[in-house]
Amino acid sequence: MRIRVIAFNTFKEAIRDRILYLLLFFAGTSILLSRILALLTVGDRVKIIKDVGLASISLFGALMAILIGTGLVYKEIDKKTIFTLMSKPLHRYEFVLGKFFGLVLTLFLMLAAMSLIFMALVFLHTWRFEPQLLLAIAFIFFEFVLITAAAILFSCFSTPILSALFSLSFYIIGHFSWSLETLLRKLRPGPTRVLGQALYTLIPDLENFNFKTEVVHGLPLPAGMLAYSLLYGTLYTLFILTLAVIIFRKRDFL
Amino acid sequence: MATVLKVDNVRKSFSLGLIPKKKEILKGISFEVAQGEIFGYLGPNGAGKTTTLKCVLGLIYPDAGTIELWGMPHLALKAKARVGFLPENPYFYDYLTGEEFLDFYGQLFSLSRTDRRERVAGLLKLVDMTRAAGLQLRKYSRGMLQRIGLAQALINNPSFVALDEPMGGLDPLGRKEFRDIIVRLRDEGKTVLLSSHILQDIEMICTRVAIVLEGRVVSQGALRDLISQKILFTEVEVAGLPESELHSFGDCLSASSGRTLLKIHREDLVDGALSHILSRRGKVLSLIPRTQTLEDLFVDIVKKE
Amino acid sequence: MSRRRIGDKGLSTLFLVTLLIVSAAGLMGLKLKLEGFSRAQVPESSIIYIPSGKSMRLTSFGYQSVLADMLYLWAIQYYSDTGIADRYRNLDRIFTAIAELDPHYEDPYLTGALIAAYEARDLDLAFKILGRGMEKNPGEWLFPFEAGHYALLFKKDYDLARKYFERAMNLPGAPVITRRLYADAAFRTLDLDAAWKTWLNVYQTAPDERIKKIASNHLYQVKAAIDTARITAAVRDFKGRFHRLPMNLGQLVKSGFLPELPRDLDGQDYLYDSQSGEVKSATIPWKR
Repeated sequence: MRIRVIAFNTFKEAIRDRILYLLLFFAGTSILLSRILALLTVGDRVKIIKDVGLASISLFGALMAILIGTGLVYKEIDKKTIFTLMSKPLHRYEFVLGKFFGLVLTLFLMLAAMSLIFMALVFLHTWRFEPQLLLAIAFIFFEFVLITAAAILFSCFSTPILSALFSLSFYIIGHFSWSLETLLRKLRPGPTRVLGQALYTLIPDLENFNFKTEVVHGLPLPAGMLAYSLLYGTLYTLFILTLAVIIFRKRDFL
Repeated sequence: MATVLKVDNVRKSFSLGLIPKKKEILKGISFEVAQGEIFGYLGPNGAGKTTTLKCVLGLIYPDAGTIELWGMPHLALKAKARVGFLPENPYFYDYLTGEEFLDFYGQLFSLSRTDRRERVAGLLKLVDMTRAAGLQLRKYSRGMLQRIGLAQALINNPSFVALDEPMGGLDPLGRKEFRDIIVRLRDEGKTVLLSSHILQDIEMICTRVAIVLEGRVVSQGALRDLISQKILFTEVEVAGLPESELHSFGDCLSASSGRTLLKIHREDLVDGALSHILSRRGKVLSLIPRTQTLEDLFVDIVKKE
Repeated sequence: MSRRRIGDKGLSTLFLVTLLIVSAAGLMGLKLKLEGFSRAQVPESSIIYIPSGKSMRLTSFGYQSVLADMLYLWAIQYYSDTGIADRYRNLDRIFTAIAELDPHYEDPYLTGALIAAYEARDLDLAFKILGRGMEKNPGEWLFPFEAGHYALLFKKDYDLARKYFERAMNLPGAPVITRRLYADAAFRTLDLDAAWKTWLNVYQTAPDERIKKIASNHLYQVKAAIDTARITAAVRDFKGRFHRLPMNLGQLVKSGFLPELPRDLDGQDYLYDSQSGEVKSATIPWKR
């Protein structure tokens, strides 16, 4: 299974990147800092800890995905390790998928580390283990998977800085797609509006993976919505990876 | 003799720069490499050697022309499984050790663990890197990287090995070792394509060559056929005789502490010169007939274009 | 041979492109489907994050006015959500924070006082907010004018109103009517009809759009107060006669309790709850 070989090699390479541990340190600090933040508030302290904790995991994980992911493919091309690799009997899609799964595995580990700190802190405050927090974290992970795919896509054809910018834009647009919808409603019906609506459905809606509010406030989460979100994430990842493979296949490695 | 690699009229252009200007790198490359030979692919920098090799290995897609390996399309995985490649200035994964690195490539060829271990150990011994196997690649010197690179090219026991400037940056001892390994590969029945601009190495081990100039193969054939065996001149190093006595035979190139280097252009004068030196109790320190070298041929060809 | 190579590649490219299109179609459809699920908004949860204005000022690195803007916008959304119970609890804190971030941002003082006076019925808070506005912006006539207005309309405190109007009438831009209000305040409190006349005068003599808008909002409030009072009285009479609440407001007209159905300043109907008999305006005045 060549994809698996590339994935593990990518994992070994990514896990030794110092940036990961720097970000992990910041994430951990931020989660623990929520304890202090909670002291400033009037009212429910645990809610702040949960909110800030989940937000930290989400933010720093996304940064990890973007920073590592955009470097992954570009580094191989720039450092020319790609020459020895692609001269072997390896399909180009196997390379892309291998990089993707390797990075996902790395992020999974990082997420587990951050979650451990977070859940421990929550447990210390509530003396209760709350499994629904894990549900929110699981969907944060699906969001990571999508961001990783985007980072790999961009790094297939542009420099690390540009692809980091593109990926960051992807992340921001993904969380603000609702504002485009509000804007669209103000347009007069016509071809621009139709085009705008088509564009709107195509751009990613990362809020579909954001269940932090529901989980923290104990609100119900319909199983249908969870299932559709998961399916949405899967299809979107598939879409992006297919695009990445198409682009990567056509590349000349100068 | 079976053909291992057949390159037929391959063309490639690149559009580079902000305002894409089309630059034609390969203008119709054609050559053949036969089974069991060491084939030299030479040309000056920028002629298109590396581009050709990258086309052969599927790293670049040619605009036109065909490339066949053992009669199969060159991109077929079956063909690629029997090929080994060492790129120019290789660079590898920093954080892997030499051993892990070779093991990784071994896994790509679906070798079993025992096979891999055996093969990796054997290759490390071949390139004399057994001691450094546990060191991370980022700590390797240039020479060490070339060696581990060669090992990686041989991990699948390929029938065809393509080497792009493999001896750049190696010291003379390293170059000799590399040459010996390449000859050994040929003796084992493998076919080697050696791309280089260092003519001495090519001249020493290659049987056939193709000379590339500005994207075209300008000369192709067995070295023996291309380079004339005619003696151009003979160099005789003489001691104990004054220069004035030797002028009639040829050019005196240098004179220091009683030694003179005499360059005799006419072959018939050589015997005469030797008998004169001996009769005058001079000493012949060395006698070297100089034939045309690959370098001479190369310079001639380049000057012609 | 090369043709075969291209053929293979062409087939796989076709496969990839098909995959691309299918997944795109799928994800677009799913996105629309997911919008159907209404996501719970818990805006009241966000209140716990509002630290004091001073601390925000210290940490905002020179972006105070932007932060003030955002906080104000958020506050408007927050207070227009009638679903949030007990939302006036933090009214003081929020508008104090906005004032501390940007003391010269005038709209929040007016809106804050409006909410405090008309909705939260906390007059002291309204005066506090306007007082701060006056302190930080002593040249602005609107703050003492509104304060005087609330003093007359709600608190029925002539002396307080007089003091405010005296202050207002000497400031640049104050409408002519301020003098008369100052004079009248000695004699009587303001009823809704007089309030209407006052703001109408301000509206008509307004030098710019901003004052016009503020006056218009007040007019809306006053008209709504008048109209809802009328309708509520009619509903009461209806109940007294027929021993049940009317099904809709039209019935009041049909049975003669109202000559015609009053509409708000924008021409919209008033909302009526046939279960509770409650009448209220459709729009939130300061969001017009």
